[in-house]
Amino acid sequence: MQGKELGDYIIEVERIRKTFPDGVQALYDFSTRIRRSEVVVVIGPSGAGKSTFLRCLNGLEDFDSGTITIDGIPLDDNKENRFEIRKEVGMVFQLFNLFPHMTVLENVNLAQMLVRKKNHDEATKVTMSLLEKVGIPDKAQSYPSQLSGGQQQRVAIARALAMVPKVMLFDEATSALDPEMIGEVLDVMKTLAQEGMTMVVVTHEMGFAREVGDRVIFMDEGRTVEEGSVEQIFSNPQKERTRQFIGQIL
Amino acid sequence: MPPVNNKRSRRIWFPVIHSPWSDVIKFLLVLAALTWLLYRGTESLGYNWQWHRVSRYIVSVKDGQVIFGPLIQGLLVTLRICGWSLVFSFTFGLLTALLRMSDSVVGRGVARCYLELIRNTPLLVQLFFLYFVVAPVLNIDRFTAGVLALSLFEGAYASEIFRAGIVSVARGQWEAAHSLGLSTFHLYRYIILPQAIRYVLPPLTSQAVALIKDSALVSTIAIYDLTMQGQVIISETFLTFEIWFTVAAIYLVLTVILSTMADIMAYGLKTTS
Repeated sequence: MQGKELGDYIIEVERIRKTFPDGVQALYDFSTRIRRSEVVVVIGPSGAGKSTFLRCLNGLEDFDSGTITIDGIPLDDNKENRFEIRKEVGMVFQLFNLFPHMTVLENVNLAQMLVRKKNHDEATKVTMSLLEKVGIPDKAQSYPSQLSGGQQQRVAIARALAMVPKVMLFDEATSALDPEMIGEVLDVMKTLAQEGMTMVVVTHEMGFAREVGDRVIFMDEGRTVEEGSVEQIFSNPQKERTRQFIGQIL
Repeated sequence: MPPVNNKRSRRIWFPVIHSPWSDVIKFLLVLAALTWLLYRGTESLGYNWQWHRVSRYIVSVKDGQVIFGPLIQGLLVTLRICGWSLVFSFTFGLLTALLRMSDSVVGRGVARCYLELIRNTPLLVQLFFLYFVVAPVLNIDRFTAGVLALSLFEGAYASEIFRAGIVSVARGQWEAAHSLGLSTFHLYRYIILPQAIRYVLPPLTSQAVALIKDSALVSTIAIYDLTMQGQVIISETFLTFEIWFTVAAIYLVLTVILSTMADIMAYGLKTTS
């Protein structure tokens, strides 16, 4: 996005490798550095390792070698570090993953109270302001099953934001939504980007990438094929593989 | 098209077959057949039924005071044994399930050994082992030994039920909880177990029913539970069939109440989410 001040490097990924037990190599010496307030859009064909990369960033997936450092904390076998990083990194999933046995309010309150040790009133105050922000304050007492997909995903975003994360990860957050609901979720994501949230977004929404993305990483077969500004990747890709992919999706 | 033809011929029969009255009639027929069988069986035995002598062993009134007979006293002992065993067996079951799913190799090994040992030997042998071998060493009374044997036995089965329930919670739930930074304890306490309980409740109820029935075995170590009291009365009065049927009926009432309670709980869980 033009005219935005980017800060120092908050995420540093150094040559990570990941092979799944079934022998599929998901990441092959993948490296990247992401600045504070930067919005990085990761694109690529399915099986390129986009989601695996994202899931490595908050320790949902282990990697075999290489290093990941987030805001100075190394993501290693140390459990303390892992919890510290998970507190600071919010994640939004393709299938929302709301807790079905809790109301919207409880979903968003839970981690604030358990992890951030807030009392119920403090947490509720934060939750209500976040629900206001994502546009569904009237749904606080509803259960997830009573909401539309778009509403559920907005609750999931609010739930992640309630932890006041330094980084937000979006794993195909709009792929499971009906077309008419994609807009409302993207709007929330755009607002976040404009407020200076550091975001790593795996998506097929090229409009979103163009509008708020600072940088695009095109991945294939576990590595970066090409990366650069949105303009460069979409309008003037250098590599043949990128050109091919962009040609298919645009 | 063939289905059209089919539909026409079945249309005549459907209302008859699917009327609730046909179910009632079928049920009554089966009941009548069973009663007849029982009647013929006992008739050929030449058994002298004396149902009127049974009631005093359940409850009697003496000088305007209600006195509970030995069967009710036995029932109370059975209830106490089952109550404690239920609590302990579910505790053992849950702990074993969590151990089996933990990262610790030792923990998984211990859980595995416990399961194999308990599930592949008869409860009666375990009961005797605990009462005659372990109890004197640890200096525990027969009631505790009985409860322990039942809890360990049913706990092994309960743990498999808990494990299946925990595994059936969607992967995304674990991931969402992890991504929010929840500790393992909080993850289980607030996310996984509340959801698993809905899958677990029906099989766990069957397990509780099995526990109640298996508790009759404690009569072998001279605990005066419902079964033991029944045996004592029979040896004194020779009311063999009357007392056994009464004892069975009391067990039946107990298990039906339990199942109904579980159904109500399951319904409650369903409506809250």
